[in-house]
Amino acid sequence: MDIEIFPYRILGSDTTESLLNDLESLDDVKRTVIHGPRFPKGEATLPEKYRERRVIQINGEDVVLQVKTARIFLEITMESTIKEVEEICEKHIPYGFDINQDRSNYIRKQRTVTDKIKYGDSELPDDLVGMTDQYSKFDDHVNIIKKDD
Amino acid sequence: MVQIYPGTSQVAQNRRNFTNPEYELEKLREIADEDVVKILGHKAPGEEYKSVHPPLDEMDEPDDSVRELVAPIDGAKAGDRIRYIQFVDSMYFAPAQPFLRARSYLCRFRGIDTGTLSGRQVIEARERDIERISKYLLETEYFDTARTGIRGAGVHGHSLRLDENGLMFDMLRRQVFNKETGNVEMVKDQVGRELDEPVVLGEPLDEETLRSKTTIYRIDGEAYKDDVDAVKVCQRIHVSRSFGAFNPEVGW
Repeated sequence: MDIEIFPYRILGSDTTESLLNDLESLDDVKRTVIHGPRFPKGEATLPEKYRERRVIQINGEDVVLQVKTARIFLEITMESTIKEVEEICEKHIPYGFDINQDRSNYIRKQRTVTDKIKYGDSELPDDLVGMTDQYSKFDDHVNIIKKDD
Repeated sequence: MVQIYPGTSQVAQNRRNFTNPEYELEKLREIADEDVVKILGHKAPGEEYKSVHPPLDEMDEPDDSVRELVAPIDGAKAGDRIRYIQFVDSMYFAPAQPFLRARSYLCRFRGIDTGTLSGRQVIEARERDIERISKYLLETEYFDTARTGIRGAGVHGHSLRLDENGLMFDMLRRQVFNKETGNVEMVKDQVGRELDEPVVLGEPLDEETLRSKTTIYRIDGEAYKDDVDAVKVCQRIHVSRSFGAFNPEVGW
């Protein structure tokens, strides 16, 4: 099952980093998608004091943020995880948030024609279906983060 | 009580304050004349005003009783061009909002034209008058550095969720938050042309102040339906309009 975290404000890089680190620490969270408006093109040329975008570290791995965090989709297996997710969100998002579970899938699970055009006949692992923005390159948007053993 | 806006809520009181020309609005910040000119972007600071007609004194005007009655504003006297400033107000407790701006502009300023859209509000006047008016609008309660945008073009964003630091979405990134000082700075003019030096607008107002100053009814602030007086007047106007076309004798 998938759930959607919908914060009442667009999250900055620092909050995204701490929130994602805590969410990743949950064993039941299989996949995470950050959804939101892209950072503006000239972001890198701005002076440091105005910049919002930076490389964040999740479970010790560098992740280059492409978008501001407006929604987070999580793939989980157990209902009980939602409670834990809620606690983590309460800690990091003081402005309020919704946790939505109206849709069975927030992350696409089926292969589509676009996948076929993009990856050809090669076998695409199930874990990677639905993880990419179809208009962009795979590497730009997907980070594979190993869970702590 | 001045009959400007009905209602007993704080929002209604704020609306009355803005619209009542005798009420003095609180001055919240100081912005230099030169910076206002930079933000507007209609001319370089210190440059002479361009004119579209000779000064009125030198013009041979036809005799007209209205011309004698109405004193021209400074810009008209000098023959300045018509210029504009446009504001965007966030739905998240911005101090002003477009329709209120229109009402209050017309109550407070002379020689202006104003246009209202759902998210933005333009005001036009002669160049030296628009500079004077802009300074007033930027320095007083009309403006909050985070929730109000000065946007001549690329106005999208009034209904979007705010950024974490309280700033309204701006696709051209004119107003940016300076992490080091906590101030909002204007790095581009109102249509998005880069400025040589950023104009410091000041700190954003905190959430509580905004909620007490706002003129927007919101379900998570003061809801319109709770302001019984305001709703009653609105309904009465609606019924009178429907049955009597504003004629109180024919109407209900």
